Amino acid sequence: MNAVEVARKLKEEFGAAVRATDSPSPDRLFIDVERAVLRPVSNRIAALGGRYIVSIGYDEIARNGTLGLVHTFAFDADHWAAAVRTSAPASDPLFDSITPDIPNAGWSEREYMDLLGMKFVGHPKPKRLILADDWPEGVHPLRKEVPYNLVPPAAEDVAYRLDEAPEGTAVIPIGPFHSSLHEPEHFAVYVDGETIKGCDYRGFMTHRGIEKLCQTQVSYNEVPFVAERICGICGSVHATTYAQAVEAAAGIRISRRAEYIRTVILEIERLHSHLLWLGVAGHLIGFDTVFMQAWRVRERIMWLSERITGNRKTYGMVVIGGVRRDITPEIAKEIEEVLAGVEKETLVLKKSIIGDTSIHRRTKGVGVISKEESVRWSLVGPVARARGIDIDVRRDHPYAAYDDMTFDVPVVTSEDVWGTLVVRVLEIFEAIKILRQALRNMPSDGPLLAEVGEALPPLRHAFSLVEAPRGEAAHYVITGEENRPERWRVRAPSYPNLQAVPLMLLGDQFADFPIILGSIDPCFSCTDRVAVIDARTGRRRVLGRQELENISRRGKG
Amino acid sequence: MLAKLCKKAFPRSLWVYHCNSGACNGCDIEILNILTPYYDVERFGIKLVGSPRHADVMLLSGAVTRPTLPLVKKAYEAIPAPKLVFGIGSCAVGGGCWFDTYNVTGGAATAVPVNYYVPGCPPRPEAIIYGVALALGLVDKKAAPVELKQVEFPIDAYERNKAWEERNVIYELLKH
Repeated sequence: MNAVEVARKLKEEFGAAVRATDSPSPDRLFIDVERAVLRPVSNRIAALGGRYIVSIGYDEIARNGTLGLVHTFAFDADHWAAAVRTSAPASDPLFDSITPDIPNAGWSEREYMDLLGMKFVGHPKPKRLILADDWPEGVHPLRKEVPYNLVPPAAEDVAYRLDEAPEGTAVIPIGPFHSSLHEPEHFAVYVDGETIKGCDYRGFMTHRGIEKLCQTQVSYNEVPFVAERICGICGSVHATTYAQAVEAAAGIRISRRAEYIRTVILEIERLHSHLLWLGVAGHLIGFDTVFMQAWRVRERIMWLSERITGNRKTYGMVVIGGVRRDITPEIAKEIEEVLAGVEKETLVLKKSIIGDTSIHRRTKGVGVISKEESVRWSLVGPVARARGIDIDVRRDHPYAAYDDMTFDVPVVTSEDVWGTLVVRVLEIFEAIKILRQALRNMPSDGPLLAEVGEALPPLRHAFSLVEAPRGEAAHYVITGEENRPERWRVRAPSYPNLQAVPLMLLGDQFADFPIILGSIDPCFSCTDRVAVIDARTGRRRVLGRQELENISRRGKG
Repeated sequence: MLAKLCKKAFPRSLWVYHCNSGACNGCDIEILNILTPYYDVERFGIKLVGSPRHADVMLLSGAVTRPTLPLVKKAYEAIPAPKLVFGIGSCAVGGGCWFDTYNVTGGAATAVPVNYYVPGCPPRPEAIIYGVALALGLVDKKAAPVELKQVEFPIDAYERNKAWEERNVIYELLKH
């Protein structure tokens, strides 16, 4: 169903409650609705086949006294995406929660409870998500009147209240500093013997206030460099997504050559990220040979990206209007050489992994989540493709030069960690295929950087999607008046996937916790921005930090 | 003097505890990278351990955020003395580009006393190995700390030129 049909259908069904529809390009539809019908309209779009992406909240108090809220949906099979916009007066910021129907909206809504002071009626878990536990109530940092560097005094003895443990279970705290996590996040895993019965998550410890910083301090062209530092792995993914969103909002067209160079950079990043993940996955199941070998192969890609971008992390390449550095014929030749070597060595690696029985035993049937549940939870990337969901932004919403590339999207239906592993290994070869095509077909002329006008038009909405190595990254930009975005919302691929981790953990062995969590390749620094599945509703009990420590010392609850 | 003390206190293998206080993964990957075959620091006896109780050295990466501040302090206290702390990456050096936002308290020094800094975004694996070798007194120091202060906008042209000249003087000093 295309955008025009959906717009017509919604107007027919909801009448005047759908205030306006706007389609700046054939693949985007913005629908302005009354606050009262936000939930039914969202549900209708989801029922028509829309996959929930993310929600965006923004502050319009200075302009018209309202707080705005946007829910975004992607129609992958029909290659377009929709945004449902509404607003509420700041004095009465009540919205209907869509989380009961679309569980993945849970975090987005909790985020705006914290950051913008919105209230969501019917939210199943209205707990603090982003701000520190000792952050005072009633101070919402994303509101315009709150300065970006406001630091309220810290308070002692304020701890996050974990969810009640199901009856008959013990609590095992994992993190914030734990050898199976490389970033500070806290999981409380409820176990009955060795079996996981539930999980609560307190993360967002690497929340650095990047969105607020970029909305108040830096200018349009400086944001890509901050965006790259959201995540040390998918740096240019975030820079590209941001640049594309601004280009879409301002109507900037970049040269075909710049698009090809972006494609090359993104695929080099995918290669290094997949090999990195393969190594980490091996490490998490205690197979350190895979870790060492995969990272040895990866090292050549790091040198290559240093050769192209000047930094081992593919930083500093993408800006609004194009790219900053060229890929000369000499570098193209070097890329080809490295690809040949990496392909050869990855084949050996693949052979040894596919045939290794210990990897089969540790990953098959582990972290199972059915296809229906995965669709309901709006999972993305290799995690979704391992559950039989055939989505890939590169093919479904083509950006950069992907419309010129021919490649396969590996999809398996094993619904477990093994499937994720297979998908990611196969994608390494697809990435090599795309890189070769891109280098072969790259147009030899065209400016690297398009002309960008003096001032970009203010208050335009746009969003863009990019397939990061671990899933779909989405950025929503509202252009501003002071040479910087008025609102910039980043959604990393781990954001939806991490929310389904408690579901994947359910019923599995505790020893499999690291690999199940590792299988989604969680990037907490991107995300920082889980819901909880209670196996049985036990007696009411709230654990404080002290109590939790006591329990963990005694070993049982 | 610290190098001498290090040699005495850590004559053999250094066991390293890696603590991410709010980094973007970039530095963490480079820290893990020095363990892999190409850089292979295990040949120097350097080993990554999972618990601060086992460690001699703490590698801190990332700006210290508000929620992790008390936790980093706790992890530091759990390391038995004598201990060394390395700040890895630009964020650990001074808080990085988000040093003054609402959820960031600053660089690693706001939480724990830092002995050595390895700047870079992210620092190269060679730089991290060099930093550790420096701590062990195996190599000489190549750079001196430079303190920069934030000036009010708009910047005066005279002040700007002066700052630029002085910066070059600092570079000259570093050469010798």
